[in-house]
Amino acid sequence: MNQPFERQVMQADIACVGFGPATGGFLTTLSRNIMKEDGSFIESRVMPGMPLQVLCYERADDLSFGVSGIVTRARSIKSSFPDLNPEEIPMAANVTEEEIYYLFDPHGASRRSKPLRAMEKLLKTLGLGRKAKHHAVKLPMIPSFLEKHPGLVLSMGQFNTWVGSQIMGSGTAQLWPASPVEKALIEDDKVVGVRLMDQGTDKNGKPTETYMPGMDIHAEFTVVGDGPVGAVGRQLDQTFGLPEGHHQREWAIGMKAVVELPETCQLKPGTVLHTMGYPEPEIFGFLYVYPDSLASVGIFVPSWMDCPNRTAYKYLQHFMKHPKIWQHLEGGTLRSWGAKSLQEAGRIGEPFLAGDGYARIGEGSGSTNVLSGSGVDEAWETGVQLAKGVLELLDKGLPFTRENLEKTYVSRRRKSWVESEGRMAEKARNGFQRGFLRGMIGMGMAGFTKGKLGFKAKSQKTYERVPSLEEYYRGRIDDSTLADLKKQAEAGPTPLHELIMDHIGWPKIDFDEKLIVSQQDALLLGGKVQAPPGYKDHVTFKDTNLCMDCQVKLCVAVCSGQAITNGENGIPQFENEKCVHCGVCFWNCTQADPNDPEQSNIHFSAGPGGLHSAEN
Amino acid sequence: MSNAYHIVVCGSLVPDPLQTLIPQDGPTGPTLKNEMMLPVVLDPWASHALYEAGHLAKQHPGSKVWLVTLGPKAKLQQLMMAIAQKLAFDLVVIDGPAGGFTDACDLAPALAQAIEAIPGLEKDRMLLFGGCSSASRDAGVTMQLVGESLGISNQFTGVDVLNVQADGFEVHERVEGGNYQVSQFKSLPVVCAWATGNLPEPPNNPQTGMMNMRGIMPAMQKAAKAPAPSGDSHFLDASVPQQSRETDIKKDMTAQAIAEEIVAWIKA
Amino acid sequence: MEQLLVILHQGQEDGLSKANLECLTAAKTLSELLGTDSFQIGLIGHQLDSVLTLLGNSGASKILKVDAPELQSPRYGSDVAAIAALTKSSGANLVLAPATTRVERCIAGACQRVGGKIDTRISGFSIEDGQLSVKRWFYRQRIEGTLTRKARPWFLTFGAGQFEPMNLEPNAATATDVEVAFSESETHTEIKGIQKPATDTQTIRPDANLLFVAGAGWSKKQGDGQIHVDQAEHLIKAFLQNSGASLGSSKSLVDQSHEGAKVLSFMSHLNQVGQTGSTPRHPKGLATCCHGEEPHVVGWRFIKERRAVNTDANCGWARGKADVVYVGDAFEVMDLVNKLLEKG
Repeated sequence: MNQPFERQVMQADIACVGFGPATGGFLTTLSRNIMKEDGSFIESRVMPGMPLQVLCYERADDLSFGVSGIVTRARSIKSSFPDLNPEEIPMAANVTEEEIYYLFDPHGASRRSKPLRAMEKLLKTLGLGRKAKHHAVKLPMIPSFLEKHPGLVLSMGQFNTWVGSQIMGSGTAQLWPASPVEKALIEDDKVVGVRLMDQGTDKNGKPTETYMPGMDIHAEFTVVGDGPVGAVGRQLDQTFGLPEGHHQREWAIGMKAVVELPETCQLKPGTVLHTMGYPEPEIFGFLYVYPDSLASVGIFVPSWMDCPNRTAYKYLQHFMKHPKIWQHLEGGTLRSWGAKSLQEAGRIGEPFLAGDGYARIGEGSGSTNVLSGSGVDEAWETGVQLAKGVLELLDKGLPFTRENLEKTYVSRRRKSWVESEGRMAEKARNGFQRGFLRGMIGMGMAGFTKGKLGFKAKSQKTYERVPSLEEYYRGRIDDSTLADLKKQAEAGPTPLHELIMDHIGWPKIDFDEKLIVSQQDALLLGGKVQAPPGYKDHVTFKDTNLCMDCQVKLCVAVCSGQAITNGENGIPQFENEKCVHCGVCFWNCTQADPNDPEQSNIHFSAGPGGLHSAEN
Repeated sequence: MSNAYHIVVCGSLVPDPLQTLIPQDGPTGPTLKNEMMLPVVLDPWASHALYEAGHLAKQHPGSKVWLVTLGPKAKLQQLMMAIAQKLAFDLVVIDGPAGGFTDACDLAPALAQAIEAIPGLEKDRMLLFGGCSSASRDAGVTMQLVGESLGISNQFTGVDVLNVQADGFEVHERVEGGNYQVSQFKSLPVVCAWATGNLPEPPNNPQTGMMNMRGIMPAMQKAAKAPAPSGDSHFLDASVPQQSRETDIKKDMTAQAIAEEIVAWIKA
Repeated sequence: MEQLLVILHQGQEDGLSKANLECLTAAKTLSELLGTDSFQIGLIGHQLDSVLTLLGNSGASKILKVDAPELQSPRYGSDVAAIAALTKSSGANLVLAPATTRVERCIAGACQRVGGKIDTRISGFSIEDGQLSVKRWFYRQRIEGTLTRKARPWFLTFGAGQFEPMNLEPNAATATDVEVAFSESETHTEIKGIQKPATDTQTIRPDANLLFVAGAGWSKKQGDGQIHVDQAEHLIKAFLQNSGASLGSSKSLVDQSHEGAKVLSFMSHLNQVGQTGSTPRHPKGLATCCHGEEPHVVGWRFIKERRAVNTDANCGWARGKADVVYVGDAFEVMDLVNKLLEKG
């Protein structure tokens, strides 16, 4: 390695970072308008004589590896595809039935506040508990702000594939999976393109004999649709800051499995079940039924659940085993599994939507509606809006300046239902900062008054919220027992969170080798998680002294793939071939970045590999 | 003769390694459940053949690489997104099922025909590459059948090394016991059915990808149709054998006791 | 009435290799099943008298041979010509051959030459309603299929370990020569010889009694938080030497060598077992430091007795994939195993 490797440069007109519903909406709209009916086309400025050169770089190894169980009203999606027939898309169905359940705790192991216990007692006294089949009570009605009918249940992976193949088929845009973007290239506060990740390095980024520096893609316009934990989006947030009063301190981890339902299951395709109350009051759950006896079942573990031991996988298993859910799943087979972070600050998390040379779309731009819990259609719509703005600017021969983008994209967004409904949802989650019941009340208030009423909240940085294990379990586990459990975890194969949950009375989960499997089995048999060699680790620990002093090590408990484990001298170690790129580590880290208090001590960036399950 | 080679690589898609494969009955024989939804990769050994082709072409200016692939068009489009950034190649597509249950004897003639039809292909510069067997059918016959159809009587299987020398080529083929048979030959055409070779996977080069895509989409549109199955090969059954043992988990043994038991078992 | 021909060939050593002898048993068994009770042998090689001295009691009704200097070493062009000539001369419509590398290089070509059809790596056969059907594995041993063909001649090759090698009491046989005129193009490749692989320890032993699989855990941090690759290398090397076992590895361990991580210096991709690697058929397999997930265990389908050493009592091996799982530290256990083996 005696001479520096030359980094190559390539020119494009438009570079997109990330392929999901937002970029799907953008490219679907754009690609339909690059070639005109008379045979002419929007000409490329970097390759005169050729049509516009539009390239999209997605980090995951295939477009079908996106994660989500989706239920959506699909207004914008249907507008883009007026003749959409769900039968054309694998794992899609019209919503036929919606129900919301409150789940009681059959084991008494969960952490319920006194007011909540009182409410449950009241429900049972009113006869609802006694009559409650399977320890659950159905809400008599679905609030309109949560209703999804008429709508679709979709698989993100299959939807992405379907959209992607049409875009590719048009020949006017190129989609490149397995191409993680290292960062946006910024010159004088202008985004001039993107740099792809270096290839052929060791885990620490040091070049090996197969080294190839990541190419620089120079583009007049960069579309950033890399999701709530996308590296480029967060780089722009850190470079340009967030608008006054905005923050990104609310998150959730969504973890789900796709299950092949047993033959005995009666649920019809299009059935949508939402739950709350179990395995912990803070955890919302869902079950969506696809055609062909498939269903997506999952939970959301939010950042305002202040358990220093929170671990989604175990909670997912307890959720699946709740009698109300298990009645449908018992005897089923795990087909797929995955996890992703959700940006729960909603409109309050909105960054600067456009700047010189770039624009933000999708969940990373704060488009998710945190009242209705929907994001896919909103993301799609922001992509469509941007495409319309871009086409306007191309038509007029105007540059992609912040001003021009504000006039053509941001203004469209502000006038749209994404904005108006997002505003209604702004206060929807505030109550949850102080607990589940307050949260439900706050949500109800915001929902039923269309956002006029709601709790005010002083948000905390996620690491400011999390108490120590001793504090959290005070009254349930004494300090010396906790110390013993910690020692046990260090010596043996069982992780601390499992030992604690066993101790406080969570029932033992027996593996059935089909659906209820170990976390590593879920990773391999469900998620088919793989990672190519030759890339640097995309999860690193900034100041390892902070790690050494950290007594909570929430990153280890919370890691969806058990890719972060206890290492030497108290510094966690990371195995990239187990990582599913959910991003839950960086927003759970309990130590602040010494250089930037809004960030944590974990650096999470883009990398290739991760989930390889397409049925999700 | 200048060393500008025409390297034709045959290869198709197989399911991504960790996918769950379940056979089911289809109209002309077994297929895989949800075959069109399974993520795919280029067959691993065919991939190596392709990378070796790219490497050889790079070393000998004026050389050209073609990838001749038979598979369902929609899946091939996905596959191209994964490999088109790796090396420069022209694509020839035959649209049809590419699963392990298809009959190589039916499909090899179609591949040979497609190769014969490549405009500008010079047989005396030609190296026909492919994998020595696939992760789907795993028969190890396709390259031989294609080669024979093209009249190529010089073939190598299980190749890990192909060196160009002053007056010809040297080949290393895998044989029994982890050894290699070393051969030399002077003239082309030749068939090399590759094992893993020794080259690492090429990195993704966006420039290469962009250039390739310009040819890939038209090639997809021009795809010939694969011949219908002859029906000569008829499946009576395809199933996943159940292999579950009663595992004896020995937890509380000392390392010494474990070692003694293992040694006794080895010697038994 | 099916007419069987079994193609046998000379190998590196004198006589016929185990695979050839197994195929001879296959031919005999099939001929009995088919009710023909007769099969022919087609022999290829050079200076075949020593081989012929073995075949007197083979049960073959006739032996044909192509004995030529061009067939001294395996080569596609000449081997195809010879096998095609033997097939035509024998009039056989079922041609069997062992799936050795010599055969696998050329048998499909020979089949094409005589207008036949072929199915390779057959794992079993049966007769139903007078019809021959064969079994073989698909998708790297994940799915087993049973199929039949109408076309003839039908070529079938047999993988090792399916049949007992025929025990031949030496007894000279006579054979009919089949003349083949080899063209220049069929013989222009020159075989230089056999080369051992670059790695300094010969670790691939297909005929060994035991397959020892080293998983990625050998190169991971151990209980003391350190990596001990040097010790791992020493332990594994010593074990292979002491036990005569063959070495296999998972893909991740082989991949790591490309990443520059310190791994076992004598490991190459040739050792790789599993999805993209080889399929070994050893009677016993011992897996260490690997998790035992289904896709990684696929390559083990033909290992009869399986044991594993793993610190995790809940690993994949423990759940139906192995006969015995020893919950323990492989570093410790293998060190003691070596000491016991060294003692003798």
